Amino acid sequence: MNDGLADVEVIARVLGGDGEAFGILIRRYEPGLLRFATRMLGNSDAAEDAVAESLVRAYRHLAQCRDPARLRSWLYRITGNRCRSHLARRHVNDIPLSEAPTPALAAASDSWVELERGEQVALVERALAALPAEKREAFVLKHVEGMSYEEMAAVTGARIPTLKMRVHRAREALLVALEALV
Amino acid sequence: MTRLLVLVLAFAVGGPLAAQRGSSRLAGRVPAAALPAIDSMIAAAVAEGLPTEPLVQKALEGSAKGIPTDRLVNGVRRGLLQLRQARILVGRAVPGQPQPEGHVAAVAAALARGLPPSIVERLLTAAPNEAPAPVLHAAADLVAHRFDADAATDLLVEAHNKGLRGVRLLDVAAAADHELQRGGRTPSDALARVRAMLPDVPAPAVTRRGPTGS
Amino acid sequence: MSDDPRLIAAIELLKTPPPVSVAERVMEEIRRLPHTERPTRRTPWLTWPRGVALALAAGLAAILLLPSGNNSLTPGAAEGIAQFVGHFPGARSVEVVGSFNNWSRGMLHLRDDNHDGIWHGDAVLPAGQHEYMFVVDGDRWVTDPLAGRFVQDGFGAGQENSLLIVRPAAAQP
Repeated sequence: MNDGLADVEVIARVLGGDGEAFGILIRRYEPGLLRFATRMLGNSDAAEDAVAESLVRAYRHLAQCRDPARLRSWLYRITGNRCRSHLARRHVNDIPLSEAPTPALAAASDSWVELERGEQVALVERALAALPAEKREAFVLKHVEGMSYEEMAAVTGARIPTLKMRVHRAREALLVALEALV
Repeated sequence: MTRLLVLVLAFAVGGPLAAQRGSSRLAGRVPAAALPAIDSMIAAAVAEGLPTEPLVQKALEGSAKGIPTDRLVNGVRRGLLQLRQARILVGRAVPGQPQPEGHVAAVAAALARGLPPSIVERLLTAAPNEAPAPVLHAAADLVAHRFDADAATDLLVEAHNKGLRGVRLLDVAAAADHELQRGGRTPSDALARVRAMLPDVPAPAVTRRGPTGS
Repeated sequence: MSDDPRLIAAIELLKTPPPVSVAERVMEEIRRLPHTERPTRRTPWLTWPRGVALALAAGLAAILLLPSGNNSLTPGAAEGIAQFVGHFPGARSVEVVGSFNNWSRGMLHLRDDNHDGIWHGDAVLPAGQHEYMFVVDGDRWVTDPLAGRFVQDGFGAGQENSLLIVRPAAAQP
């Protein structure tokens, strides 16, 4: 399947009856959506569910993607809402971290660079999960997904000044958490 | 046979119109100044897992009526808020389960008719896995005819427990109103008489006076 | 705030995408979707000049919706017959505009064949809830007083739509 098509061309194909063409969009966007959902939910199984549900919903409502040039924002918006729904159905404290066994807190003599990569990932995930959902989302969209504040506003529905404050507070909180863990 | 052919043709023509969703149906009908805001609300509904057809219908309605842009947008926004509230109520009635779009739309329609959220929640909880539209409309009918909301809900829950479902619950409401119209009865009396009939509440007779269906 | 190296390192770690895919799962699910839930763009005939398309639809709808003397409208199992009646003496035209015709004008005209001011018409409609109003003489929107059910239209001027609940033919008494 020709993967060199622009989003707007793929959407036109799907709306013209070529449902299989939607696979192009899935392969194009699922790495970022899965990463986003995993960071939001702290659980890869839940993230897969949220992203799969979101992509099916996006397919069903593809004709309502008002601006095909902004498909990415639209997909992240749907996925963000699915993640919020998942979070609302369970307490944050119950979120397990990565599948790797939770490492014991680093000894005082350990430094960040001495930790194994897996231990580093687990520590960062724990610090991220400790953030309130709104700040976590803003931080991930800005620094992990590399979005502009304009795109983040389209994804979250929040105003840009609000998003800047959330990102700022998330960075502060994350640093404090990382310092406490290592 | 000719009429059947006409029916088929009419639905073939109307089918694609009905099957279109959201933005493509509004273009050319909704004032251009209102389109961005309404599109944004429809996109929000999609992202939040809410039904979009009530919003599309409200936009088409307002445009057909020539409603000024700001009030048109506010009307659609009101619909979106009702859908969000409806989804919360459905979620409370069936916690942890998927919330069918049809159920959310039916609850929003009931809220638009002025049915109190507490009554909606009671009725949803009494029959959590059934399409809620008939019982909610029955309750809204009774409330509109000045029956006490809680007493009316009690009757409908009892009717449901005695096996009445779907449009038969509308018959319960119609029977209560019929009893009240007979005169010399209080609303409580009317409800009591209908309760005594359950489950054998009569279906309304079909007449040509006024719109009929139910 | 300057970028703390631990924060930079943390961000880099978070950027690694999970080594999983939901592509096959999603494609299987959308292949199972019923036809009515698949996205479509406008079908070709809708790109005809809008007036032509609407005139064709209105013409067919008018044939369907004219009252028939022998009441031989035959709704499907999930449809019902709606009968509309309005008293508008002196009116030149009365039509019904509502959710069942996407609030489109020119789709459902009532008739007053004996000129007694009583306008009526039947329609086959999907079972369920429908909001509507009468439009008299092309520009006067009137709530059907015989509807029995009403709902505020939500546009802030206190106007009410009439509300009709169509029973499926299978559930008709």
